[in-house]
Formats: sequence, C-alpha cells, structure tokens
Amino acid sequence: MYRYDEFDAEFVRSRVAQFRGQVERRLDGRLTEAEFRPLRLMNGLYLQLHAYMLRVAVPYGTLRSSQLRMLAHLAVEYDKGYGHVTTRQNMQFNWPVLGDVPDMLEDLASVDMHAIQTSGNCIRNVTCDPYAGAAADEIEDPRPLAELLRQWSMLHPEFSFLPRKFKIAVTGAPTHDRAMVRAHDIGIEVVRNEAGEVGYHVIVGGGLGRTPVIGQTLRDFISKDDLLPYLEATMRVYNRFGNRDNKYKARIKILVRDLGIEKFKRLVDEEYAQLKPSDIRVGKEERDRIATYFAPPAYATNIQALDMTRQPEAFRKWVDTNVVAHTQAGYAIVNISLKDPDRAPGDVTADQMRAVADLADAHSFGEIRTTHQQNMVLAHVRQDALKAVWDGLVDAGLEDANINLIGDVICCPGMDFCALATARSIPVAQKIAERFDDHARQQAIGEMQIKISGCINACGHHHVGHIGILGLEKAGVEFYQVTLGGDATQTAAIGDRTGKGLSEEELIDGIERIVDRYMVERSAGERFLDTYRRLGAEPFKEALYADA
Amino acid sequence: MSTLKHKGKGPQGMTANELRSGLSVWMTPDFSWSQSFEDALLTEDEGLIEKMDETAKASEQENHVVGAYFIDTVDGKPARYRERFRTHGPSYDTADLIKQD
Repeated sequence: MYRYDEFDAEFVRSRVAQFRGQVERRLDGRLTEAEFRPLRLMNGLYLQLHAYMLRVAVPYGTLRSSQLRMLAHLAVEYDKGYGHVTTRQNMQFNWPVLGDVPDMLEDLASVDMHAIQTSGNCIRNVTCDPYAGAAADEIEDPRPLAELLRQWSMLHPEFSFLPRKFKIAVTGAPTHDRAMVRAHDIGIEVVRNEAGEVGYHVIVGGGLGRTPVIGQTLRDFISKDDLLPYLEATMRVYNRFGNRDNKYKARIKILVRDLGIEKFKRLVDEEYAQLKPSDIRVGKEERDRIATYFAPPAYATNIQALDMTRQPEAFRKWVDTNVVAHTQAGYAIVNISLKDPDRAPGDVTADQMRAVADLADAHSFGEIRTTHQQNMVLAHVRQDALKAVWDGLVDAGLEDANINLIGDVICCPGMDFCALATARSIPVAQKIAERFDDHARQQAIGEMQIKISGCINACGHHHVGHIGILGLEKAGVEFYQVTLGGDATQTAAIGDRTGKGLSEEELIDGIERIVDRYMVERSAGERFLDTYRRLGAEPFKEALYADA
Repeated sequence: MSTLKHKGKGPQGMTANELRSGLSVWMTPDFSWSQSFEDALLTEDEGLIEKMDETAKASEQENHVVGAYFIDTVDGKPARYRERFRTHGPSYDTADLIKQD
C-alpha cells in the first residue's frame, strides 16, 4: 500500500495546522461564516441537517489496519461510536463538534489520512475496483494508476475551482466493472491493445444526479505515458467551457452532451496538441516506483483446500455469498457485509472497525478495502483461514451473507442526516431488508441491486440500481419513485422510470410483487436484470402498481 | 444570514445551528436559543418578528449560531416537512443501537 513520502506528510501536517488556525479564528469571530464555509468544505467538513459531518478520504477505498483503527478511534473520541461508509468509498462521521475537527484531522494525519478534496468543485477522491490486485479477471492492478491520479489531482492549482465537482473511477477489470466507471465524470479502464500493450480506455461524461448519463468513449486506447497529459487536456477543456452560471448544468456530462462527443474530442485533441506533455508526463521509472507500493503480498503456497462438507451450514452459506475467487491459488476475496438489516447500510461501529482491522492483520496482510456498495473487503485471505475470519465476523456481528443479493441495499443517508435530502432512505432500506430477511429466499432471487437515494442528487446511485428508488416529498408526505433496469457495470444503463410515486408501504409491497413476477418469469440462469431486458418494463410495472 | 425572507405565513419561528456543536436550535421567547423546538417562540407579532431577526443577526455576528432563518409554522409545528423533521432529529441513528448494547 502507498505510504506518504516526506512531501505528503509535511503537506498534510501543514494543512492541519492551517485549518486549526482557521477554526480558532472562526470561533473567536475573526472569520465570518461566509469566509469560513469554503475553508471548512475544503477540509471535508459539512454542516448537515442536524450537525456537522466530517467526510474522511479513503483513497481508492484502500485502508491499512492502523488507518481503520484510527477511524474507530475518531468514532469513539469525537463522534458517537460509529462511522458510515459512503458510495464513494469514504467514511463519514455524523456528529463531530467544530472545535474537535482539527484534532480529528491531526489524528488522521498521523496515519497518512486527511479529508481534503472530499467536498468542493475539485477532483474528488478517486475510486477504484475494491478487488484491485486480487481479482482473477483484471488485466492489471489499477491502484498504482489511482495513486498517480491522486498525486496529480491533489491541490492541482489549475483544477481547484472547477465549474463543479469532478469524480474519477478506475478499474483494471473491464469485463467485470466493479467501479462504475461509466457513471463518472471520467472513467478509466485498464485495457490491452491489439499489440498486447497495456494502456487505458478513457470514458467521459458519465454521471448520475438530476441528469443521469452513461459515459462515452473519449479514447479507445491511450498509452500509459500519455495518460496524464491527455487528462490534463480534458480537464482544461472542461474548465474553460464548462457552465459556471448554472450549477445544475455545470458537470462535464452536460458539456459533452451539448458539444457532442466528437466536438468535445476535437477540443481535447487540440488542447493536447498544444501541451508540452513532457511537463507532466510520468515515465515508466516513476510509475514503477509507485507500483512497488502495491506489489502483491508474500503469498503462501500449498494451502490446503477447506473441506466444506464438515463446516457449519451458516458458514457455507456465507462462503457461497460473500467469498469470491482470488487470482492467487489458495486465496480468496472476502466481502464483509455492512448490511445488517437493523442498521443503516454502510454504518459500522468502532468495535466492528477494530474487529475487521484485527482480522486484516491476522489474515489479509493488514489491508482492508471499502466499496462503493458500502461494504468492506479483505482482499487476500487464505482459504484455510476462511473459517477463522467468519468466526471473527460472527463475534463482531458482521456475518451477514447477502453480498449482491436483495438485502445488500445501497442507500444514501437521506433526510435522517443530509441537508439536501427530500425524503428518508434509511428506513426504506431497512424495511426491504426486513421483508426479504430470509436467506434462502435472497439466494433464490439471486443477484439484485436495490439502490436508494433520498433526493435527486442520487448519492445512492438509484439510476443504476436494478431497482432504483428515489425519495421525494410533497405536501409533507414522503413518496418514492421507482426505476427499473439500471446497471452499474460494464453493461451500464440508466433505469427506466416506472410511473407515479408510491408511499413507503406501497413501495415495499410493490417491490415484493416485482420480485415475485421475476421469479415466475425468469428462465434458467437469468438474473433479474436479464429477465427485465428480455421482457421489458411492462410486466414489472404492472406488478409494481397492481394494488395502487 | 438571517433576513426577513420568511413567507410570513402563519406564526414565525427562528432557527439556526449552533456554531460550536452544529446542532439545530430555535429562538425562545426570551430571545435566547434552545436545542428543543418545544421551547421555540412562534409568533405573528410583527414587532417580535423584527426583534427575532435582529437578535438572530446579532447571534450570528457574536458567533453563537450560523445560518439563521425564519420558518413558517402551522398548529405549533413547522409547516415544511424538512423543518418538522429537523425538530426531532434522525428517525434512525446507529448511535442509539450502540447505547442499547
């Protein structure tokens, strides 16, 4: 894993000291709120519906165990004993007080962490495939690229005041996109060209929010040498031509849509031709240096396969659902579900964080991933240690066996915490989890991604949920609009709006009828999404509104 | 910043967030602030409303609160759903489950 060099460490420490001074000046009145607000947002501190919220960056969703323990420490010392894994792989704390935040940031800096660029019109935390470096289906570990992008985009003077926020995602497994690259301002896939050279497929103009768009190809293939200059040219075109008058039309997806992809490409190419790529080109030597931080761990060999016939049924179910193949023989990738039906999706207590950190130290080379689906991953677990990991997760209350099933709901904080929300989303997620609590039923339904957003800003990614739910409010009553057929993967699609909104009760019943209809209609091996694509929306709309 | 931007529909309340804690507060009949909406001053008296506005501005300048604004109320409760919701806090908080443990 990447460790700060002296420049990173010095910069983050000086930033903490700077923010401490800013908070002091705010508290004694030398700074007004109007002056202070942009400064706190640059350090990830929001003022939400009920309290402050600190969003901590988890670069490309990778944590060392010491970092996760530090997040647990923050939760206990400065918050209410828990954190929330976001759909951008970060961690949020819902209840800090202003005077404590500099101490929180200082504690974070001691483990190479910060909250910079988790807000504001800048390039946000780069997100990544949570199975990076472990997935059997990847061409190359995308984390060195993600780290390179982090270094390039961190406090980039030219891109600190963009027309709007900017999100980049990377994956090394283009055939199984787990990073949602087509729903980002820029998505990057590691690909191999016809000559066998490894480079990048650059996708631009994707995004969700009030105008959901699937990204388009900007370059089929660009070499590793040329990527950063090309991205620099792309950002310059956006920075120059992006709309600054209307924040709802300021994302790059609107610029690409308005110009058309061909004209946008031409502008980027023209800008690229004027750049001196040597100014920012990162050569092989430096790329290799970064890559050494992400070298594969020292895997053991001759690991005995687990005799599953002698294991408890609950463990076998968990393995079936939460454990996936690893690129290294004898190892497995373990998904840790943060979808306890009684909890808010993505919430994890300090005790649980410490338990996961201990398990990572004992069984996964001290490394943890956070996922955009609001779960955690132990990426390198010996197969003969799976039972010990499961036992530890059971002790911590983290043994839910529901990854990618209907209980694995993605959900933004909604009106329970967010100042922008129009309706609650957490109670809806909990009711769905409760309705489909039976594990055998979840397994029988198979892969099903329900995603819930509490407002049109779509932090819960509802547009790309197989079943998407958008919470709205009218005349004091919450209601929910449903989209069907969305897809966050390499076959990305925006879901189709079904029709009028439903009350929470109607919604849960309607979802159950959709699921029942799918179970009747599906052909062998079909996921819900496959059946939906084969039959179209009508049978499912009919089911959704059957009682309405 | 607080201004008389309220719609003026029904009795008016004044709300803000405490600068230090960030928690929601409402102006009380003695023109101080309470974390409980039950303590809130709700009035249609133009003179009181003027004083609420002045007090809120002063509280912001004195760094007690941030983002003060008027809310409309109906039958002793905020008219807007969002504001009603703010009065009782989140309907779910993992912190409550931790306390039970």
